[in-house]
Amino acid sequence: MTAPAPTGLFGALREQLTDAAAAFAESPDALAGILAGMVDDVDRALGERLEIFPVCHHSPASALAMARRLRARPPKVIYLELCEDLRPLLDELRNCRLPVAVQAFATELDGFPAEWSPLSVIAPITEASAEYQAIAYALDTPGVELVLVDRSTDHVFQWTPRDGQPADPDPTPAADEDAALHGDAVGVEIGDLRPRFAELEAHLLHHGKVRHWSEWWDQYVERPLADADHDTYRQVMVLIGSLFRRLRPTRSARDDRDEDRERHMWTRMRQHLAASGVDPADCLHVCGAFHAASHVEQFGLDSTAPDFPISPRTGTRWRYGLIPSSHSAIEAQFGLAPGTVSIAAANWAAAVGRTRLTPYRLAGQQTGKKGRRTRATPTATSPDETADRLSGFLAAPPALDALDEAELRGWCVDIVRLARRNGYLASTADAIAVFETSILLANLRNRARPTPYDFADAAVTCIEKDVVPGRRDVRRLCEILLGGDRIGQVGYDSLPPLARDVLDRLRPLGLDLERRTVQRALLDLRADPALAPCSDLLWMLRHLLPADAVRPIMGERRLGHRSTQESWDLALGRNQRALIELGYEGVTVEQVLEQRLRRAVRGPDATAARALAAVEDAIRLLDSPRLVDELGARAVELLAAERTVDDAPEVLRRIRRLLAHHRTTASTLPAWCQAFVTTGYAHYCTLLPTAFVDEATGVRQVGAMLGFLFHMESLALSLGCDRSQLELAVAQAHPEAPAKLALLWAARHQLGLLPLAQLREHCAELLGNPLVVPAFPQYLSGFVHALDPVPGLAPFVVETMSAAFAGLPDPVLLPWLPTLITTLREHGPELVPLLVREAERTFPATLPELDAWTPPWAAAPATPTSAPVVAAGPVHRLLTGHPDATDAVAALLGCGGPWRSPTDGGPPPPDAASVLLAAHPATADAVAALLAAT
Amino acid sequence: MSDMLRAPAEVTYADELAYLESVDTGPKPFSWRLSPRMVRLFVLGSERADGLDREIPQKWFGDRSFVERSIVTLASDRGLLLIGDPGTGKSWLAELLSAAICGNSTLVVQGTAGTTEDHIKYSWNVSMVIARGQSRESMIPSPIMTAMERGVIGRFEELTRSTSDVQDALISILSEKYVAIPELDQDNIVFAQPGFSIIATANSRDRGVNDLSSALKRRFNFVRIPVVTNKRSEAEIVRFRTEELLRRHRIELEVPPTLLDILLQSFADLRAAASAATSDDEKLESALSTAEQIGVLEDAVLHSQFFGDRTLRAGTLAGSLVGSLARRSPEDLAILNKYLHGVVEPRAKADGGEWDGFLDGGRQAIAALS
Repeated sequence: MTAPAPTGLFGALREQLTDAAAAFAESPDALAGILAGMVDDVDRALGERLEIFPVCHHSPASALAMARRLRARPPKVIYLELCEDLRPLLDELRNCRLPVAVQAFATELDGFPAEWSPLSVIAPITEASAEYQAIAYALDTPGVELVLVDRSTDHVFQWTPRDGQPADPDPTPAADEDAALHGDAVGVEIGDLRPRFAELEAHLLHHGKVRHWSEWWDQYVERPLADADHDTYRQVMVLIGSLFRRLRPTRSARDDRDEDRERHMWTRMRQHLAASGVDPADCLHVCGAFHAASHVEQFGLDSTAPDFPISPRTGTRWRYGLIPSSHSAIEAQFGLAPGTVSIAAANWAAAVGRTRLTPYRLAGQQTGKKGRRTRATPTATSPDETADRLSGFLAAPPALDALDEAELRGWCVDIVRLARRNGYLASTADAIAVFETSILLANLRNRARPTPYDFADAAVTCIEKDVVPGRRDVRRLCEILLGGDRIGQVGYDSLPPLARDVLDRLRPLGLDLERRTVQRALLDLRADPALAPCSDLLWMLRHLLPADAVRPIMGERRLGHRSTQESWDLALGRNQRALIELGYEGVTVEQVLEQRLRRAVRGPDATAARALAAVEDAIRLLDSPRLVDELGARAVELLAAERTVDDAPEVLRRIRRLLAHHRTTASTLPAWCQAFVTTGYAHYCTLLPTAFVDEATGVRQVGAMLGFLFHMESLALSLGCDRSQLELAVAQAHPEAPAKLALLWAARHQLGLLPLAQLREHCAELLGNPLVVPAFPQYLSGFVHALDPVPGLAPFVVETMSAAFAGLPDPVLLPWLPTLITTLREHGPELVPLLVREAERTFPATLPELDAWTPPWAAAPATPTSAPVVAAGPVHRLLTGHPDATDAVAALLGCGGPWRSPTDGGPPPPDAASVLLAAHPATADAVAALLAAT
Repeated sequence: MSDMLRAPAEVTYADELAYLESVDTGPKPFSWRLSPRMVRLFVLGSERADGLDREIPQKWFGDRSFVERSIVTLASDRGLLLIGDPGTGKSWLAELLSAAICGNSTLVVQGTAGTTEDHIKYSWNVSMVIARGQSRESMIPSPIMTAMERGVIGRFEELTRSTSDVQDALISILSEKYVAIPELDQDNIVFAQPGFSIIATANSRDRGVNDLSSALKRRFNFVRIPVVTNKRSEAEIVRFRTEELLRRHRIELEVPPTLLDILLQSFADLRAAASAATSDDEKLESALSTAEQIGVLEDAVLHSQFFGDRTLRAGTLAGSLVGSLARRSPEDLAILNKYLHGVVEPRAKADGGEWDGFLDGGRQAIAALS
């Protein structure tokens, strides 16, 4: 840094400040160094050949100064402090309604830690900002070039320390959905100007007698500078930038990053100037005031320092787009007080009206007011007429506007109306009181006219009497009144292809899906089959977007089922960000869905159950046999690799559904289904003995395994599996837990290894042993779980429970009943209805019947009947009336017996099975030979 | 120092007020002694930037905007109602404002279930009425009526403790600004002089007992004073008030900063527990306000002074804390017991220091009360 010049443009001011430091500070050298250094920074920045235009974000004063400067001396090149790779997006701004944010997004990382994924950077753009003025001017004025000079979004993360997270996760997620518009993106903004340590900010707030930083800025910088001339504006802004630069804690990583950014910007500007040969006098460098007071060696066009070596970008594939933003989202992202950006927007509108300045606005921009295409009209102001405006500005009180009574009166009347609409007991008297209190508060706070902050305080004081949960408080109403939260929208032309495709394909619905309201779509697919593609798309979007974006009210899409009428609540306009981010993943929704399904089955946490779910989704939503086969094959791999059976109930549920679907829709099962069944059979047989013993595996899981084995048995055996594998597995199982023991008994019964009589005996023993009776509900729970794999056991379970109720003495039974109920409710609530149904079938329905009723299990065993009794009835009449079909089937099966009438009392027909075997003895002979051989 | 047990603010800070009046050049509303800026300065204390010859200490700790809103309300046509939990400094702020604005903070009506309209308007000296008949001489004006006559601030403490019909007596006082005395034939209206206003306080915990009518609400501006949760501000308040109490009791005893920290921390812990509680039985009956902390500290200081070795110890502080906060047995005692064993004990093991003594003292106090 150069030594301060004793004289010069700011010599008098420097001297004055040095004297002040000597008079007031205990260590005058340090203070004098800071104060004189600040003046030097201003001197240096203003002396630079390439004009530096310092700005602060969301500052109407900066925007006004920028508009004035551009009109006074239109530059040919504007260098803007914004990530250089975002430049192509800026042209798309004209299709959008501000505020929107330009976004860079990456999910396929290369060179960054995988846990950082997805990377997202956003830079919000509001109308009341200097950068927007510069962008609008540059894009709409022929021959003007806009060059972004800040580091690329890739470098934002390259320069982030590897041990930290790129985006600080907010511990308290934004309650307001509008405040969460940016998601968890990293925010970059032009002109971040704020004290760099908390104590300085607290000091400024305390002495400024304000509550938060935005209010301080508004009172001490924004309003005094609103109507300042160009020189005053620049000098003051650089001075503030220099103040915050000099008053900062010891060097931190953030400072290094800031300085690297400055080096980057100056290097890029020098490169551009050298390449284009533009006269620096025709250029303007728009950057945050903090960077205007930079001390890096590359600062200035006259610097001889070598260019900053800019590292190449990583292989990360960045995708770019515009997403809607909102005032509250900007406030939440950058830690501003609620309402700050809205108040800035209101101030900007008021200042534009007051100064009669025509701001720049992109042609074609969607705004409330019709933008006027303006042409820059140069005025005769020489760039070299720099004078010391700083001394005057610092010494004189700011020239503020007089009290705008009409504006304040309007606010007071409107807030009372708004409050009344929101349930407050507010009246005209309150409007008068708010008016009076606003002025009194402004006086007390040393302000010539009430600011929006004074007005809000006055309104709270005079109107808010009670706090009612759910009702908007008065401060929030004031924010709404002063412009409220404005939510931007990305225009159709700037949407990614996927989002445009979605809107195009949903056009037959006849709804304006870009609106932010929830819209109801009614699809009668029977009356209008042309809407079927819309329905398909909506179901895909339902799968991909947040739950509230596309919500079915009526209709469903299950495997093999499509509703003929559907009704949807669509809120795509409100979820534009989600739709746009979906567009970063692919060109069509189908492609994105396919990728997501593939990712779901290939990910590290993929399981067989999830893979089956993906298969189901693929059938339901995409109907792509190729993808289904691929996902199904992966499900088989995953199942074979699984070492736990935690997901067994889910696997069973899904594969059953899929098998049923394939059986009804195709003549043969797909290969993957067959492989899944055979693999599953072998897999669960292998794991069954361990699962029976393992304490960590629950009854439900073992029940589901048995369900798989028994339900799929016939299919598995037909596909080449061996039943002995299951028999061996059951023989190896030696569970100790009562519930699992009951399950094992049920399995053995199903396999024919444990007759019902023996099972009944086991249960009688259990009930007879007083030491085991307390655990009996556990056994019952096991039996209840066995109802799914062994449905034939239901009568036995009813019998066992009845036996328990009948046999146990009351002192044992009564304490035992609650345990039974809680155990059943806990372990198998979905299976209990089966039991109830069986009981209903077993027990008599009326009381008189009960007297004569004998339990089926107590009845004498029925004698085997020699021949079936053919009953007369409608079926019989139908068959005898039209015997052709039956005769044909009988002939095919080799049953050639004559028709017999139920009334003729003829001889009993021969046993059909023996007739069949007698007619076709080959099979029986082969089996007998095989048995004889073994 | 006056010989009153507790002097009102205008007496305690008489010289400060006189000084501020002498240097005050700002515009004063009505008959105010000080301009609004000086009133704010008196309450919130001065800084170097104010350019005064002497330092004015801060007397009320809280958000600046509350004070500003209160002051402008008093300069407007409406009364001021300070609402907040017990112990948040409402009455103290009301007293300071009255003292600064009119030099008199003693015109107070205390709202209770037994407050009648006579306490707000006027009553009669029965003997004099019998002797001389009804006249202005035999009338006893209420503090509010006195404030009207003199054009000063009248105070109404705990407004919501008095019944609704009594509260509504304020409606005409606040809107018409006069009180009619129908018993008199002449001189039967008392008009409020410029400068008259009312500062009322209400306890937010009493909400729903005697709710204010809409008509009365309309005549008051509400300023809600929250419980101080900023640890630094709370430490300042406790220190300030305790010093004042010690001075009043003429006790020379120092409060070690570590013990002050323990007190603040334990209140912060108990508040967190109270906000996490799902039923009233799981939280202490106490509002755990700053005033309660001051009460605990005062109790501990007095105990140490008269029954201890004139040194404040952690055990004594814990005893006072338990004694002050345990109002219900067994609910409050159970909560404090849980707090001591669940929070203080691990902290004593980890940090040691004064927490050990605090834990022992707390245990003994709970054992004595159980």
